[in-house]
Amino acid sequence: MSRRPVSRTMLLSLFAALITLILTGPLSGLVLNGYDFTTRFAAPLQIAAMVLILRFIAGLLPASWLAPKQKHEVEPRAPRFKTYQLVLGGLVLYLALASLVLFASKYWLAVGIMALIYVLLGLGLNVVVGFAGLLDLGFVGFYAVGAYGYALGHQYLGLGFWAAIPLAALLAGMFGMILGFPVLRMHGDYLAIVTLGFGEIIRLVLNNWMAFTGGPNGVDAPAPTFFGWEFKANVTQGGVPFHEVWGLEYSSGMLDAFIFLVLLAVVGLTLYAVSRLRGMPIGRAWEALREDEIACRSLGLNHVWTKLSAFAMGASIGGVAGVFFAASQGFVSPISFSFFESALVLAIVVLGGLGSVYGVILAALFLTLMPEVLREFADYRILIFGFAMVLIMIWRPRGIIQQRRPFFKRAGS
Amino acid sequence: MDFYVLGQQIVNGLVLGSTYGLIAVGYTMVYGIIGMINFAHGEVYMVSAYLTAIGLAVLAYFGISNPWLLIGLTMVFAIVFTSLLGVTIERLAYRPLRRANRLAPLISAIGVSLILQNYVQLSQGAKNQGVPTLVEGVFRMGSEDHFFQITYMQMVIIIVAILAMAILNFVVQHTALGRACRATQQDRQMAQILGIDTDKVIALVFGIGAALAAVAGVLITLNYGSFDFFVGFVTGVKAFTAAVLGGIGSLPGAMLGGILLGLAESLFAGFVSSDYKDVFAFALLVGILIFRPSGLLGKPTVEKV
Amino acid sequence: MLTRFPRLALSIALVSWSALGHAAGKEILIGVAGPHTGSSAPFGLQLWKGAEKAIEDINKAGGVNGSMLRAVKADDACLPAQAKSVANKLVNTDKVNAVVGHFCSSSTIPAAGIYRENNVLMITPASTNPRVTEDENYKAKDCKAITDKAKQEQCELSNYSVIMRTCGRDDQQGVEAANFIVKELKAKSVAVIHDKDTYGQGLADAMRAHLKILGQKDPVLYEGLTRGEKDFNAIVTKIKAAKADVVYFGGLYAEAGPLLRQMREQGLKASFISGDGIVSNDFLSAAGGVKFVEGAFMTFGADLRNVPTGKAVVESFRKSGYEPEGYTLYSYTAVQAIAAAMKGTGEIQDGRKLSKWLVENGADTVMGKINWSPKGDLVKSAYVMYVWDKAGKYAETQAKKL
Repeated sequence: MSRRPVSRTMLLSLFAALITLILTGPLSGLVLNGYDFTTRFAAPLQIAAMVLILRFIAGLLPASWLAPKQKHEVEPRAPRFKTYQLVLGGLVLYLALASLVLFASKYWLAVGIMALIYVLLGLGLNVVVGFAGLLDLGFVGFYAVGAYGYALGHQYLGLGFWAAIPLAALLAGMFGMILGFPVLRMHGDYLAIVTLGFGEIIRLVLNNWMAFTGGPNGVDAPAPTFFGWEFKANVTQGGVPFHEVWGLEYSSGMLDAFIFLVLLAVVGLTLYAVSRLRGMPIGRAWEALREDEIACRSLGLNHVWTKLSAFAMGASIGGVAGVFFAASQGFVSPISFSFFESALVLAIVVLGGLGSVYGVILAALFLTLMPEVLREFADYRILIFGFAMVLIMIWRPRGIIQQRRPFFKRAGS
Repeated sequence: MDFYVLGQQIVNGLVLGSTYGLIAVGYTMVYGIIGMINFAHGEVYMVSAYLTAIGLAVLAYFGISNPWLLIGLTMVFAIVFTSLLGVTIERLAYRPLRRANRLAPLISAIGVSLILQNYVQLSQGAKNQGVPTLVEGVFRMGSEDHFFQITYMQMVIIIVAILAMAILNFVVQHTALGRACRATQQDRQMAQILGIDTDKVIALVFGIGAALAAVAGVLITLNYGSFDFFVGFVTGVKAFTAAVLGGIGSLPGAMLGGILLGLAESLFAGFVSSDYKDVFAFALLVGILIFRPSGLLGKPTVEKV
Repeated sequence: MLTRFPRLALSIALVSWSALGHAAGKEILIGVAGPHTGSSAPFGLQLWKGAEKAIEDINKAGGVNGSMLRAVKADDACLPAQAKSVANKLVNTDKVNAVVGHFCSSSTIPAAGIYRENNVLMITPASTNPRVTEDENYKAKDCKAITDKAKQEQCELSNYSVIMRTCGRDDQQGVEAANFIVKELKAKSVAVIHDKDTYGQGLADAMRAHLKILGQKDPVLYEGLTRGEKDFNAIVTKIKAAKADVVYFGGLYAEAGPLLRQMREQGLKASFISGDGIVSNDFLSAAGGVKFVEGAFMTFGADLRNVPTGKAVVESFRKSGYEPEGYTLYSYTAVQAIAAAMKGTGEIQDGRKLSKWLVENGADTVMGKINWSPKGDLVKSAYVMYVWDKAGKYAETQAKKL
């Protein structure tokens, strides 16, 4: 594409600045003060000037840089590895990432744990939204089921961390099935709002059922142990302190390091499982159902079971993420499971590229690490975050990594 | 059950429901035309609440004190401004995504609502804001201390909500503009071939949707007197629920859904438990959608090959 | 007020500067944690303003032990997960010497765990939930039996908590409100409403518990409303139907305002009482004007704006165009206490040593001389009943001391 004339760019920039001036005029220029207002006319002028400059610079860039990147052709399938290659590669990758534990400060370790939790959530929701094409806005509900399952399971039944992981997956999966059942007949956005409703119902019940869940005060979740070793200065669950067994000096970072390592392994396994699922009959059924439900049903595919299994699979991954969240926080309360979290996870899945497993990982890391990096910008943090979301979406409407759909090559072509 | 208490709760529900309905109509307009959930709609409503307060303050500065004139002028100011905002948002955040995946504009909309929320917080401060009470007066039924009532402002809300819905419905069903909208909705490519500037039509619909949010913003703000930068989110989710309940895409449906939701919340909170009123509201939504998967007045999607 | 964009430019400049590395190592860093985004942001601003001002004043007077103080702002958005994250950041990345904050009890409780682990002194100016200073895993150790002098000292030190506060506790606040309701208002039927949040519900429960102790019959209504909403007409009608003559609300002003307004609009004349969550002039605008708030009661610590020691500070705040309302001065106090302990001990990092010093010596602050229990609660935190008047201001009630 050729460059646009500079004079036209100038004109467009001026127009953009004018609109900005009108739009920010009252909101930035007149600041409410009780029932009265004070003026601050410099602010809208500054914003408009900034828009003028940015728009002008953007106009000077070659148009192809800014145009949405969309590829429509189907890409060839990624090369298949042999099992031993995968195991070996995975192990090397795991060790490389695990060694981060040795260098990261406790703060970055905690941020890393949150990022991995969101990767897990993203992978879970990706099964539902990306593979099966069911728009789920209440995913945070399953996350809450997992987190509360662990915390309450410990409180009432004395469940430990390792028992909680499979049980939470099972429990959340069951919730996924139960909640999935009534929505089978619904499509698209009706499904979205009903799942949103379910997510809210779970949160509200957790918040209101004082006697069982501790209401808004939340519940304490125990720190995980490893074969009876506890990662605390003083044992609280009748084990032995890890640092004493190994003759190390106690450090509060040990617990985080342990959670990080376990979580990393779980993310790796989930990643493997999810990528394998796509190639298996059930994964193909999900994707087929997403593309054309009627065709699938007429071919005898059991759409009820297919949809429910997608819900259950996604939910159990969300539940496992919840256990890790509770374990790393040491405390769960309903505020952590608001609708905004669902929106964030959905953003991860869409920004990453619907259905793309690796895209989800990239987007999860990006969306969780960015607000932390932006902490330097203090109050502007969320504003910049919002702009980034819109801009990335416009720049890459199909996500950071575009979806690859498995297909079969016709012989001879 | 006390008749007056029941009456009051029904009035409460109608008023709350009308506020949901007013915002839900905006959701439904946009959804109807491009099939997209405009998550930023709640924030546009929030912006108009701020504009109401700013408008009133500026008008008071110029010495205007007639309440109806104040409301009228503020309304015009808010409508013009928010429509422009709506059109701008559409142009910048949604139009580039017209041909993308259905979920891309949804995420973009979440981004826009974060931007609006934080922009308003940064420019106007995080604190709660308020507007003075302009319209006083109340209509009461019953004896001195045993009555139910509706304030004049509440009456205005109910009437305007129904009127706005009716006018829009007329526009969509019986005017050239409405035909262009419906054509764009049914088949955008075909509409374009027939000479309809679909981009313009969509922008216009966003403008109208935002204008409705402005009407809602002015009236609701005047009724409750206080707001902050977070109101858009709370009300937005409820209004969206109302739109879906009534059958998203249907204007009378949005109003019906709003009123039903308002009544359900009000009666449940009033006679059972306000702790669980939202649980009840969402459970009702699920219940209704199980039996009518396209909402109360939505067109059932016919499955055909 | 600084306009936004120069400030943005400034912050960018600061970032690049801090990336170059700090030249002066002699600074003492005070983390100031509170909500700066999300619906509780106004309170975060109060904490920040108070701490900022205190640091400025202390630096003007020559700093602490020859070092200057610097505030590090941390936004927890009142979300527990973010609170933990910023606590970790303050402790491990910024390496702050002490922390003022957080605001929401639900954020302070999880964050406190991190400060405990790292032995960093945290003083909250605002979290009134009892659980903030009650550490469940904590047991006071008996150190008398230890013969080794150094070890005994170590042991004694570990009995001090690094989590302290300059505000009272909800169980004290609820008691004051219950006393007032029973003895002053002579209420027959009380409706208790709360906002289903750690602070609001905790306060409401504390009040309700003390009502029972005073022999009052159970509240005629005990219900939660939803934070963020503005329409409470349904609950108001319910209160009216229950014929309550006193309405107690546990929550923040953003909900208290509309609730009170709708009560009055529906012709409900019952007295309205709430806690320190409505101590803000914004309560006035949230309720829609003077005629609605007039006569509303609330419990709060003695108004520091009237305490003689605080006069000059208040004046100086007002001169800069900021009304030091709500928790502002409590936050100011917290910084003063930290500075006093650092001066007193010569220690700037060890949280337990600082807290031991504060418990043993108390501190002279804008609140006057204050003392702490080893747990970190104020020894004396008299809650006082305030009432809003016709002019839209609040003042202590003239009622006789109970």
